[in-house]
Amino acid sequence: MTSPAITSAKPAKFASRFDRFQVGLLGLAALAVAGTLVYGGYLLTVMQLAMIYGVFCIGLNFFMGYTGQASFGQNAFACIGGYGSAILCVQYGWEPILALVASMAIAGVFALIIGYPTLRLRGHYLAMATFSLGLITYDITIQWTAVTQGYMGYAGIPPLGIGSFTIDSERWKLVALALLLGFGFWLSLRMRDSRFGRGLRAISGSENGAAALGVRVPRFKLIAFIIAALYASAAGSLFAHTVGFISPEVYGPQMAVMTFTMLFVGGVGTIVGPIIGAVVTSLLQEVVRGSGHFQDIAYAVVLLATLIYAPKGLSALGALFRRKKEA
Amino acid sequence: MPSGVELIQSLVNGLGVGLIYGLIAIGFSVIYNASGIVNFAQGVFVMLGGMFAHTILTRYGLPMWLSAILSTILVAAAGVLVQIFVINPMWRRNAPLFAIILATLAVQLLIEQIVILTLGDQPRTYPEFTAGGPLKIGAIAIPYQLFWILGCGAVMVFALTQFFERTRMGRALRACAQNREAAALLGIPVERMLVVAFALSAGLGGVAGILITPTQYTAYLIGTPFGINGFIAAIIGGFGSPVAGLVGGIFLGVIQSEAIVFFGAGFKNIVSLTLLLIVLLFFPKGLFGGFQKKT
Repeated sequence: MTSPAITSAKPAKFASRFDRFQVGLLGLAALAVAGTLVYGGYLLTVMQLAMIYGVFCIGLNFFMGYTGQASFGQNAFACIGGYGSAILCVQYGWEPILALVASMAIAGVFALIIGYPTLRLRGHYLAMATFSLGLITYDITIQWTAVTQGYMGYAGIPPLGIGSFTIDSERWKLVALALLLGFGFWLSLRMRDSRFGRGLRAISGSENGAAALGVRVPRFKLIAFIIAALYASAAGSLFAHTVGFISPEVYGPQMAVMTFTMLFVGGVGTIVGPIIGAVVTSLLQEVVRGSGHFQDIAYAVVLLATLIYAPKGLSALGALFRRKKEA
Repeated sequence: MPSGVELIQSLVNGLGVGLIYGLIAIGFSVIYNASGIVNFAQGVFVMLGGMFAHTILTRYGLPMWLSAILSTILVAAAGVLVQIFVINPMWRRNAPLFAIILATLAVQLLIEQIVILTLGDQPRTYPEFTAGGPLKIGAIAIPYQLFWILGCGAVMVFALTQFFERTRMGRALRACAQNREAAALLGIPVERMLVVAFALSAGLGGVAGILITPTQYTAYLIGTPFGINGFIAAIIGGFGSPVAGLVGGIFLGVIQSEAIVFFGAGFKNIVSLTLLLIVLLFFPKGLFGGFQKKT
């Protein structure tokens, strides 16, 4: 995964990019979706959200994993996406798909304007600046009641669909989200192995080294930030169209923390990490919910244990087996 | 346009809160300078200080001064536990920076939930240290607690400066801040110094919580706002010296309370976060400089 092959003309073949372990994990995730489709019930909602957060995390992985930067404020862009969809659809009666794309464009422009000065920061400063970005957006959604309706939020957001065909059934919603996630995943793979994507990975290795190889570091970082914002915005819109209701809490700072958790559990910088993390963490939350008061404690303990003992996440666990084989 | 009295009154209020932010900011910089880690769970120590003091006061009926000392020690112990069980294992494994940040956020969640389970989720408060008041100067009211905050803040900053300048341990901490490897080569037990840094920083947060609780209230969730504002204060002041952190805190506190007067309470956070972004972008070393390390 850490191939520094920025100068090689052709990306590696499809199969060789995944190790078997990661393919297996993806298979398990697909099985989980299929099982949920059969089983139905409340799990459908859980998996729908997992798919949406998966889209979010794929974008975040671009910025955090491949480029090695931190953004605790991607929820700001999800917020733009969600509210963009809600306002355009509910107030102006737009088509959901058009609203989704339009909000993505708005989020992209905002990412460009905000990212240009902010991305000069590094380390903790970048983390805090982006975190405050998310907090500001959260406060604005609460205070700017004329546009966002404050705590009331927006209800009655139409589900996705084209023309008169809308996806109403919970099962079909999950199928549509899974397909969209697959599309986003495929796009991310294509971008990851483009010249641009390899440049990003060079930046995460060493900014000076990347610059010496002719990578325009600030521009690449900014583009990665915008890509992450576009994915986040799409995830925010999808949330609005899937659940049908949004309020400031949905896109609050805890969204940033949760998606971060997902990315770390799945494996930062790995190809399948974002999806695995989103599915595993969503299911984990449901599992610990059974423990009542201890829900958040169990959640925090699992997260801490992952961070300490498996810092590269689940997707990298395959390396353990591989090392044994070679030895 | 707000009247002059209103302005001065909000100035006084801002001064009190700002001093508290300053104490938290010092806590941030003590850990940061010793380890290069920003402990995002800093606000939790403020909450613990208030909660412990309240519990000891009401449940065991001890006098205020004794409860304050006991709770400070307890909070410092909590800081040591966090260091030993979470930070140190990650530190030894060379965990990436952002993983540690996320871990401190998880610690915050964990401690908050434990507090809910053991002490309950109701907001609570206790009386000011000195009964009576507020002191009236014309139309402006100054609560007695403000003098306590001022006095304790001054004493603690003085004591910290002396600690860093005069004692062996304080000097060792500063050596770690300058260059950890060189410090280790000189025989300074760096990991043990990290424990000291966490104890010190948690204790500072605890004192801040004990001092501020009489003027407002404490509950399990007050940690996040205090932590964020303390961090903003640390950024404004720069991570250099205790005095800079304190001044940064006062600056932030005053600006916040003026923002409440001019824009309303809802915009308090928007103003302070915007201030943070401005400082980060234009004065990345803090308004007072003094920040030498690269991250």
